[in-house]
Amino acid sequence: MTWRTALADGLHGLSPRAHLVFPSEQRTDLRHRLGRYRRWEDGVDLSPPLRRAGEMIGPPDFVGIGVMMAGVRWWYHLVADHPGISTRGGIPMDRHFLSHFATRSFGAEQVAQYHGWFPRRPGTITGEWSPSYAALPWVAELLARAAPDARLLLLLRNPIERFRLGLAQSSENRGSQVGTHVADAMERGFYGAQLGRVLEFFPAGQVLVLQHECCVADPVAQLALTYRFLGLDDSHRPPRIGPRNVEAERSIPTADPDAVRRLVGVYAGDVKELAAMVPSLDLSWWPEFADG
Amino acid sequence: MRPPSAARAAFRRLSPRTRSALLHRIGRFAPWEDGFDFTPPALGAGESAGAPDFVGIGVQKGGTSWWYELIADHPGVTSRTDIHKERHYLSRFGIEPFGDTEVETYHGWFPRRAGTITGEWTPDYLGYPWVAGLLARAAPGAKLLVILRDPVERFRSGLSFRLSLGAFATEATLADAVRQGFYAKCLRRFLDYFPMEQFLVLQYERCAVDPAHELDATYRFLGLPEHRPDHLSRPINVSGEKVAIKQDAIQRLTDLYAPDVEDLLALFPHIDTSLWPNFGTSPA
Repeated sequence: MTWRTALADGLHGLSPRAHLVFPSEQRTDLRHRLGRYRRWEDGVDLSPPLRRAGEMIGPPDFVGIGVMMAGVRWWYHLVADHPGISTRGGIPMDRHFLSHFATRSFGAEQVAQYHGWFPRRPGTITGEWSPSYAALPWVAELLARAAPDARLLLLLRNPIERFRLGLAQSSENRGSQVGTHVADAMERGFYGAQLGRVLEFFPAGQVLVLQHECCVADPVAQLALTYRFLGLDDSHRPPRIGPRNVEAERSIPTADPDAVRRLVGVYAGDVKELAAMVPSLDLSWWPEFADG
Repeated sequence: MRPPSAARAAFRRLSPRTRSALLHRIGRFAPWEDGFDFTPPALGAGESAGAPDFVGIGVQKGGTSWWYELIADHPGVTSRTDIHKERHYLSRFGIEPFGDTEVETYHGWFPRRAGTITGEWTPDYLGYPWVAGLLARAAPGAKLLVILRDPVERFRSGLSFRLSLGAFATEATLADAVRQGFYAKCLRRFLDYFPMEQFLVLQYERCAVDPAHELDATYRFLGLPEHRPDHLSRPINVSGEKVAIKQDAIQRLTDLYAPDVEDLLALFPHIDTSLWPNFGTSPA
């Protein structure tokens, strides 16, 4: 480990409270000066990892496209526990590759590069889960070109809860553009519009929509459903199936009842659109929207 | 007290992030930044406060500073130089309570002399999903102004602007810049709360070509008599180095916006897409 790597990792691992004395923007600036970028930042190296002996590469068999704060890390690890799935240490669950092509060319070379991020052992399938993809309007078209047969997973959560958790998680970055920061967290909850965009490029049968609340209540049944959707034996049981409740450790602002009413108004039309596209959606898990 | 010009020049040479950090250290914040004091300004002699008569709600990089200055030049409009054209007051209420006290505070930001009208232009409002409902509550009679621009050009200009101010090039920055170009989708949120006759939708390209005609239309919309400012054609904040967008990405962005532009034309048939280089003619 070089001193640059050690310093950059140290910056990455600082407690959120550190922003009080060392603001997040300055930390990011310093990290970039050290040549370290997060996967969703411009400047990150998109070169695929080296292929190991016996591995093949190709388009992902499945791609989780959303959503942040809905337990996607937990669910991805349950999926990855299946012996029919290839994952490799050092390759992140969220490749974020397609995030980088809003303004760049995306041709055969980039498609091949994307495929290079998916090594797999013979007889297994592999994929990724980049939870911001659904909220990035340019991604669906690129994904349809790079992985037209991929099965897409969309794990949702009550949009009001997701919004509150998203805001709490990123509160240290809100300084320079408060409204834009809040708008970003809110926009990520317009699932109907996001799914609508995806369905312009993929048939509905290629998309599995899950609900966080349902996965927490009955992970065994929901995981079996997920395995079946991916064409895997659904009898597999990971040793630890319960949720990793990391959100509970964060301080989440209490929502003002009036603000919640306003949020219901903001999201109601979109939830209705979503329910029309996903007949299996169970709105009883999202009580604010249960009355349609 | 104003600092000496050499100090101001040196300050301008600092990076945007360093400038911001220094200003924050001395307690100076812009209305869009966390830390800004939203206590309304003191009323001047003969001034009264109240709901804004007009609110510009969009769009960023649509020439709104230029257009606001032209409106403010009218003798029938009060515009105090110590109050930013972008109040941004409603930007903060995504999840915070918004009641009578907040409405009153908002009104406090609109001092005006007797017999004049006043307002603001916060171009970010259009893209903030929660603002329409709050504005309808705080200023239901306000006339709403929007200047639109070819959405792909707006994206390029908006992204360049954000980056020039020190924003990091992340997927969130890109997504924000893309989303602001879905004009019809954003305007529909306001149309849920305000009648069509309360909107004036202008095009940046048309304002640039024929500012006198478009300004006359703007004054009429605001109920003001004719007036001709000394300097008419002076776009502000529309230059600067632009982000490079590859040709195939421009085509993808154009395709991405096309259905929204079509919807926009259904809402506002007077929009002339032949003025928008990436759309040329109606996508319909």
